[in-house]
Amino acid sequence: MFKLNLKIAFRNLWRNKTASFINVIGLAIGLASCLMLLLYVSYEWNFDRHFKEAGQVYQVMTNFKDANGRITSTGDVTGNVIAGAIKEEIPGVEAISRLGYGGQSLIANGSSSFKKEAKFADPDLLKIYNYEFVAGNPGTALNDPKSVVLTERMAKLLFPNADALNQSVRYDDKTDLKVSGVIKDPPSNTSNRFDFLMPWSFYETLFDWVKDPSWTNFNWQTLVKLDKHADLNLVNLKMKGMMELHQKDTRAESFLYPLSEKHLYGKFENGKGIGGDVDRIYLFAGLALGILLIACVNFMNMATAKSEKRAKEVGIKKTIGAGRGSLVAQFFLEAMLLTLIGVVAAIAMVELLLPTFNNLLHIQLSISGLAGGYWLWILLIVVVTGLLSGSYPALYLSSFDPIQTLKRKAARAKAVPMSLRQVLVVGQFCFALLLIIATLVIYKQLSFIKNRPLGYDTNLLVEMPQDGLLQGKYELLRTDLLKSGAVTSMCQSSMSISNEGSSFWNFEWPGMADQDKQIVFNQIATTYNFIKTNGIKLIQGRDFSRNHASDTAGVLLSSSAVKIMNLKDPLGAKVKYHGQDATVIGVFKDFIWGSPFYSDRPMVVAYSKAWNGVITMRLNPANSLSQNIDMIKTVTKNINPAYPVEVKLVNELYANKLQAENTLGILSNLFGGLSIFVSCLGLFGLAAYSAEQRTKEFGVRKVLGASMLNLMQLLSLSFMKMIFISVVIAIPLGYYLMGKWLMKFEFHTAISWWIIGIAAIGTLSIALLTVSFQAYKSAKANPVDALKYE
Amino acid sequence: MIELKNIEKYYANKGVKSYILRHVTTSIKEGEFVSIMGPSGAGKSTLLNILGMLEDPTYGEYEFMGENITSLNERKRIELYRNHIGFVFQAYHLIDEMTVAENIEAPLLYKKIGGSERKSRVADVLDRFNMVAKKDLFPNQLSGGQQQLVGIARALVAQPSIILADEPTGNLQSAQALQIMDLFKKLNEEEGITIVQVTHSEINAGYGSRILHLLDGVIKEDVATTV
Repeated sequence: MFKLNLKIAFRNLWRNKTASFINVIGLAIGLASCLMLLLYVSYEWNFDRHFKEAGQVYQVMTNFKDANGRITSTGDVTGNVIAGAIKEEIPGVEAISRLGYGGQSLIANGSSSFKKEAKFADPDLLKIYNYEFVAGNPGTALNDPKSVVLTERMAKLLFPNADALNQSVRYDDKTDLKVSGVIKDPPSNTSNRFDFLMPWSFYETLFDWVKDPSWTNFNWQTLVKLDKHADLNLVNLKMKGMMELHQKDTRAESFLYPLSEKHLYGKFENGKGIGGDVDRIYLFAGLALGILLIACVNFMNMATAKSEKRAKEVGIKKTIGAGRGSLVAQFFLEAMLLTLIGVVAAIAMVELLLPTFNNLLHIQLSISGLAGGYWLWILLIVVVTGLLSGSYPALYLSSFDPIQTLKRKAARAKAVPMSLRQVLVVGQFCFALLLIIATLVIYKQLSFIKNRPLGYDTNLLVEMPQDGLLQGKYELLRTDLLKSGAVTSMCQSSMSISNEGSSFWNFEWPGMADQDKQIVFNQIATTYNFIKTNGIKLIQGRDFSRNHASDTAGVLLSSSAVKIMNLKDPLGAKVKYHGQDATVIGVFKDFIWGSPFYSDRPMVVAYSKAWNGVITMRLNPANSLSQNIDMIKTVTKNINPAYPVEVKLVNELYANKLQAENTLGILSNLFGGLSIFVSCLGLFGLAAYSAEQRTKEFGVRKVLGASMLNLMQLLSLSFMKMIFISVVIAIPLGYYLMGKWLMKFEFHTAISWWIIGIAAIGTLSIALLTVSFQAYKSAKANPVDALKYE
Repeated sequence: MIELKNIEKYYANKGVKSYILRHVTTSIKEGEFVSIMGPSGAGKSTLLNILGMLEDPTYGEYEFMGENITSLNERKRIELYRNHIGFVFQAYHLIDEMTVAENIEAPLLYKKIGGSERKSRVADVLDRFNMVAKKDLFPNQLSGGQQQLVGIARALVAQPSIILADEPTGNLQSAQALQIMDLFKKLNEEEGITIVQVTHSEINAGYGSRILHLLDGVIKEDVATTV
């Protein structure tokens, strides 16, 4: 019985090639989206959960409060003393470690040098993350200050032909460290990844400000591992007052937050985790399930529409003794068969598209990386899809009365299926239309933001890190670079101009109120040519000038700073910056430093020879881009041979800020397109079927004198009615939802009428095209063929 | 074998009843070959459908092999179809997606007969009808007469005790029609299968032993055929 049904199912698929094709493609797309979703969810959910005893690991978070005790912000940064205090005062601490970011640093084995991600930590970090050691002893690897732990990949880079253990490497071209351990590369869904890890004890010897104990120098992370029986609430109760106890007048308190939650629920409000990346998962889930549902709906629609053809078969089978159960089983089998074929196609699709997708979302998904339990989810989805698509047709078709179906040509499909079909089509197009509207709004917002005046000129502007000898030999570098003709102007600064990096408070100026001490300002330290190199607009006064020796104690203010400080005559005003006296020598127009979607904080630019790190250069337009960069590389390498030279374009760095919204736009475009495609496939099938059903009617009408256009109108009208209804529903809904999304941003555009217009007209046109094609085919048919068999 | 008592069938349309069959009372014994005749609209097909349990009478009793059909539920009815009744249609009604052999095999599958038994019965029947070479063809590759043969083969393969045939030769040429009627006669005489056929043709009716004339839903005449 089963074998025969299977054979018939295959034959049916083959005979109705178009219908099967439509169904399989639709299901495949829906299933592929769900598969991607599962991979993504599995990746994100397992973030920091996959290493041993991950459930016992917490991160120390800090709540910053204002003068009234209200929590203004929460961060994962701490000072360097809290770790010791926690170890002493909180019971149940199995391991605790501070973590410092070294950033991209130089590590070399003889002449092969690389700039890779470096971090510093206490030895306990190895116990917290439970890294798998392929060489070396985890218990002692970070004890000696002059040691370093490498990842396997780093070890292979440095020592391609030998064991890395116990070998010597050179850090930052200054210090030799011994490789005390090599760990297996942690999976990409781990936080705090590094290429090489050095002991905190070594870190302290590099910088005084790391060594000096401080509760309020919030520059590092602290990670804690509690033992199995520790009660988080009790621990946090104890921790609440810890900072104030040790450092009076500090307006901050700390608490422990599970590390595994931090990735997804990293957004805090009033000290509570309210969401974060988890919103992306919900969004993605909604999209994927929506498409799958559309595909299932297609299947159901097609099956019920074709019910007349199958009715005869059902009738015959009933007369020769089939029970309802076996008929239901047969139809379910057909649905499952299609679904299975769809799944195979889906898996193939996913394999093909995964690399592009990974690039898009900047993650590393792979089918092999799918955690065990998720295969069960896939199976479940396949089964549910098959059941869902097959249920309605199976139950509906098997209920036919045999005599009705055999004696009468037209199986009277009751009124109910017809309107259900219409509702389903309306639903499909609503969903697709919402996505199209979302895409248009997102793109409009993106282009609006891209057009926001930057405040500085990114054209031909490049930057490179001030590594190694470049710090001490900056003036030499400048002379050589200007002489080479590759750059027309350059400057050194503490931070890159492309992204905000440092802020402070306790700024003092004349006429300030007491609570103004709490105002947070952005800060950059630089030497000469900052304004000129970056193309910032100067409103009053001047940039730091070599001609005025006193400028070394000067500051520049942004115009928003002047406004907040309420300075009528900013030039010459005497201020106190980090406790040091300074004079305002210039005011510049605000430029975008942080997120372009929100306004920046007021900014102070100060003079400092010591505090540097980034070199910004304006390239000479007379040469080509690659010529300039090559010359820069040569000159720099000459002065600082130990380090590779990295030159980055500032406008590329700036573009990264829009990455999240860009991704959102791409995703919604993709899913919107897919939804329209799948919905139109369904519409095509329905139209084809309706046309077939009405061949006789068309034949008769043609004989009575109807033109092609009349007939096409006839067929199209019934379908276009449905699409029109979905437009009417989707537009206000889309307007409302996207309006809410736009409100999230301080700077946002408005949803203009043309967006609505394009979305509606676009959808209507595509649907019309789909239906018209069918209408044309059937209107063209010879009426004689249609009327012959009556 | 079959007892009909006061069978009535009407369709109600907006309160007005149109009677298809009225006061139909008759009995059919095992081994009979009965023809039901009458003009179009007389209710012949409906009567046959009622006999074959494809339709329910709106009034009256129908006893089949001693069991009162009108009180049976669907499951029991299906059992009776499977085991005792074979239906042959005017339009053959073969399943286009299945081959000749699969079409013939289908009733056996619903009877849950084992694989080898099925194969043997199908082979038997194919042989008997000289259709072995055609067993893997699809219905649309056969002529009308051949398709009807398949239909009869399908009705026979379940070894029914009664065959109900609704104008079995209606769509066939005269030579093929005679072939079919000869076959029916043989089945009836040699194997004792009861046959009830609906027909327009006097010639076909002549093959049977009894003729029921229907007119406007009532049995007008019930005569034995003149040999």
